[in-house]
Amino acid sequence: MLLSGSQDGFMKCFDLRKKESVSTFSGQSESVRDVQFSMKDYFTFAASFENGNVQLWDIRRPDRYERMFTAHTGPVFCCDWHPDDRGWLATGGRDKMVKVWDMTTNRAKEVYCVQTIASVARVKWRPERKYHLATCSMMVDHNIYVWDVRRPYIPFATFEEHKDVTTGIVWRHQHDPQVLLSGSKDSTLYQHAFKDASRPVDRANPEGLCFGLLGDLAFAAKESLMGGEAGRKPGYPGGDRRYPIFFFKKPDVTEQFAQVSSVLSVFEAPAAGGGGGGGGGGVGAGSRMDWFVDTARLYLLSGKPFADLCDHNAKVAKQLNRPQVSTTWTMLRIMFSEPANISSSTNHLMSKLGTLPPLLNSFSMKELSSGLNERNKESRQDNIHSLETNINNNDVENEETEGSEGQAEYVFGDAELDDDDLYSMEHDNQTEEPEYTLPQEAFPLRHEIMEQPSAPELLEKAESPHVSGSEAESICLTSSESISLISVSQLLFPPHLPPTFFGPVVKEMLAYYAEQGDVQMAVSVLIVLGDRIRKDIDELTQEHWYMSYIDLLQRFELWNVSNEVIKLSTCPAIGCLNQTSTTLHINCSNCKRPMNNRGWICDRCRQCASVCAVCHHVVRGLFVWCQGCGHGGHLEHMGSWLRDNTHCPTGCGHLCEYT
Amino acid sequence: MFVARSIAADHRDLIHDVSYDFHGRRMATCSSDQSVKVWDKSDDGEWHCTASWKTHSGSVWRVTWAHPEFGQVLASCSFDRTAAVWEEIVGESNDKQRGLSHWIKRTTLVDSRTSVTDVKFAPKHMGLMLTTCSADGVVRIYEAPDVMNLSQWSLQHEISCKLSCSCISWNPSSSRAHPPMFAVGSDDNVTYTGKVQIFEYNENTRKYAKAETLMTVTDPVHDVSFAPNLGRSFHVLAIATKDVRIFKLVPLRRETTTTSGPTKFEVQVMAQFDNHNSQVWRVSWNITSTLLASSGDDGCVRLWKANYMDNWKCTGILRGDGTPVNGTSGQAGAANTTGPSGTLASQAAAGGAVSAGRPKAQLMPG
Repeated sequence: MLLSGSQDGFMKCFDLRKKESVSTFSGQSESVRDVQFSMKDYFTFAASFENGNVQLWDIRRPDRYERMFTAHTGPVFCCDWHPDDRGWLATGGRDKMVKVWDMTTNRAKEVYCVQTIASVARVKWRPERKYHLATCSMMVDHNIYVWDVRRPYIPFATFEEHKDVTTGIVWRHQHDPQVLLSGSKDSTLYQHAFKDASRPVDRANPEGLCFGLLGDLAFAAKESLMGGEAGRKPGYPGGDRRYPIFFFKKPDVTEQFAQVSSVLSVFEAPAAGGGGGGGGGGVGAGSRMDWFVDTARLYLLSGKPFADLCDHNAKVAKQLNRPQVSTTWTMLRIMFSEPANISSSTNHLMSKLGTLPPLLNSFSMKELSSGLNERNKESRQDNIHSLETNINNNDVENEETEGSEGQAEYVFGDAELDDDDLYSMEHDNQTEEPEYTLPQEAFPLRHEIMEQPSAPELLEKAESPHVSGSEAESICLTSSESISLISVSQLLFPPHLPPTFFGPVVKEMLAYYAEQGDVQMAVSVLIVLGDRIRKDIDELTQEHWYMSYIDLLQRFELWNVSNEVIKLSTCPAIGCLNQTSTTLHINCSNCKRPMNNRGWICDRCRQCASVCAVCHHVVRGLFVWCQGCGHGGHLEHMGSWLRDNTHCPTGCGHLCEYT
Repeated sequence: MFVARSIAADHRDLIHDVSYDFHGRRMATCSSDQSVKVWDKSDDGEWHCTASWKTHSGSVWRVTWAHPEFGQVLASCSFDRTAAVWEEIVGESNDKQRGLSHWIKRTTLVDSRTSVTDVKFAPKHMGLMLTTCSADGVVRIYEAPDVMNLSQWSLQHEISCKLSCSCISWNPSSSRAHPPMFAVGSDDNVTYTGKVQIFEYNENTRKYAKAETLMTVTDPVHDVSFAPNLGRSFHVLAIATKDVRIFKLVPLRRETTTTSGPTKFEVQVMAQFDNHNSQVWRVSWNITSTLLASSGDDGCVRLWKANYMDNWKCTGILRGDGTPVNGTSGQAGAANTTGPSGTLASQAAAGGAVSAGRPKAQLMPG
């Protein structure tokens, strides 16, 4: 028996024993695209039509179809009965869908639907695999897909050999699920072995991960990855150790393709994260971005004398538990202050140093030092170290100095201590053991030495890798009676030293901050120092910092700060950020005519246009107005008015809307 | 420690990507179930799904947000060989009240003949540009000449990478000293070549040209991510392959400005970690680029942080379902990482450019 369907809408059944068709079935609709005998019922066949319908016929009754249903929108190109007589019929159409229908019920019920990426030309159930079917397309897509209908979104396997449209597919043997034959317009015939198929799901990414702005972390992962196998060793043969080995039936991994889903979770950094942006902290602490927002809000960048700005910012940084930044601000103040302020500021520094929280580890010392001349800082750090370690530093030079100095109560850090030594010390401190605390009494405030003639010499020498102990000594000795650490710090900032001296050092420090991801500090210092440092840093770098910082501020929706930074910046490229694509058209709120002169008096109605509708005073600063009637006033006045009223305060009758 | 907040995503298949928007208030997820969902964070910190719609006729691999200056715009890419641009429509007030928003498709980019594996918007200062990469190894750069009209995109560049591409990342630096640059990763597992390529825009030829191939990365790469460049002179690139790697690309100063070739880079390996013991699928930087998160087949997220010496260390392990990992994160992380990071740091310090195919064993602890 052979069944045929034709474009004329008729189907004919041929019995090969006769020379003519046995019976003709009229679909009474458009052309027939496919006919298939049912596996379950010898007499039943399905026919699919151009108009999206599928008809079921009994071969013994040519006058009328048994039932008809609409399967697809657009032509149904193919249909295939499930080989294991389950009454399942798969249909594929131009709407890119493959649908599986349960024909055993009264009404055909759609049990599965697979969405493919191109119109479906052929569909063939895979032998011996209940839920698998193969499809190919008639245009665009040359691949053959094998789907698991239970997971209708990702093809289980694909064959990508054909270079042109695949015209036909068939499974090689009724009971062999491994071999598929396909023909194509590229005039090739392929016999595919299933093990050669590519598995898109293997390449599909099972996880998504994204850092949020505030340091929270969104993570989506395949459910099975979350299970107990997280600790699984690599290369452990597929399977689960939880089951005893004798129950272990090796599952055919290649055929496992059950439904999967993902778990989505958001890890939120704790609110009280310690804010340790620079200092670092626990797992959560470093990732939380509050410190950035707070710092941006609280920093003062202009409007006060330089020293006050620095002091303020140092205080802010300290409050936010960022000692090293705080110290940097203090040092900047000292370095660039007017000579008259020097002594007081130095005192200030020292008291600051003295009161630094025990947290101050050598990390921050290093930071701090990058603001200073390298050498100076090292020697000072030595001081601190030697003080901390109760002067039992085994450095010979140290002892010498001590001996020769006589009057000195505190041993000087010796400039000759090796770099290596120094760094190794820093390493030690780094390893999170409890930091040395700075004993406050180690910094008694002696009276200051205002003039130190040999200071420049020291500074010059400091550039050279070795300052001999004797030189250091001589300096010490020239400075009067009892020399304390403080007097050394003093030596570093002699009043006659021009601020420009520090330019390269500060530049280096800013670059360091920027590279550590704290562009905020770089830009803030840049603005506060203004002309003192600007010429030392090339324009392009400055612009880059500004851009980065402004971008960050805008991310955090700190528009006011961002605007202030733009205003205070000196880069022409940044300054014009605010000017681009901003035009103001001003109309008088009384007479609705355009205002054409400068100022806020309308020259037609001779009234001030910017009067608050509530308090009738002229508004300076933020003026908010209703887009509908044009009346408005002080932001807070309008706010309080609109809490109780919906109409415009001028009594114009307009129902004001503020968004 | 982090607080895990589980969200009932209700996707019907694997979620392939999550993406935060510019301000961190919204999140988009995409899944094999062909849909994209948008989540908004309410004031109490809960995430609510405000939109869910079918975007493609295949698995949606990636979803990404445009800079908010261009509106609320999403781009998605899919197995169905297309990428699409979506815009949120404001207006219909009753939708708002129900807490739903409406997204409409502005365009479909159909140039690829294979699965589109990644889609990314270029940094804002370059204008509204969209980059896709596909499994046939082609990177396409589209531009919307009129930012107000999201339905018109012109294909500006077509760059062949020769290898099947899996991921792409733009260098976010806005400095004029850094020409536009992106990195492409390949998940090709047939050939033995460098799997991460870096392309740079050349002002003279007005084309993108390959600037660098990271020859040491020879295993399939699943994700690449440039660290946010906050005023740095160099670039940091994280790579998810069979392990997590962090590269530092230092642009070498050009002798003369007239040389037309691409920038030469000094490539340094800053860190390499195989703590996941399996394929690493994703890497993501925090906003200040001080912290790197990676996720692997072990179902864990690991956090990496550099100390001031540029030694990268594991600072935390997070299990996906929020349960803590046995043993404190500090112990496990430190024990496993000190070895390789120490070795690498010294190598990096030596300034040696990494030679190709360096034996892995050398880097293992013990």
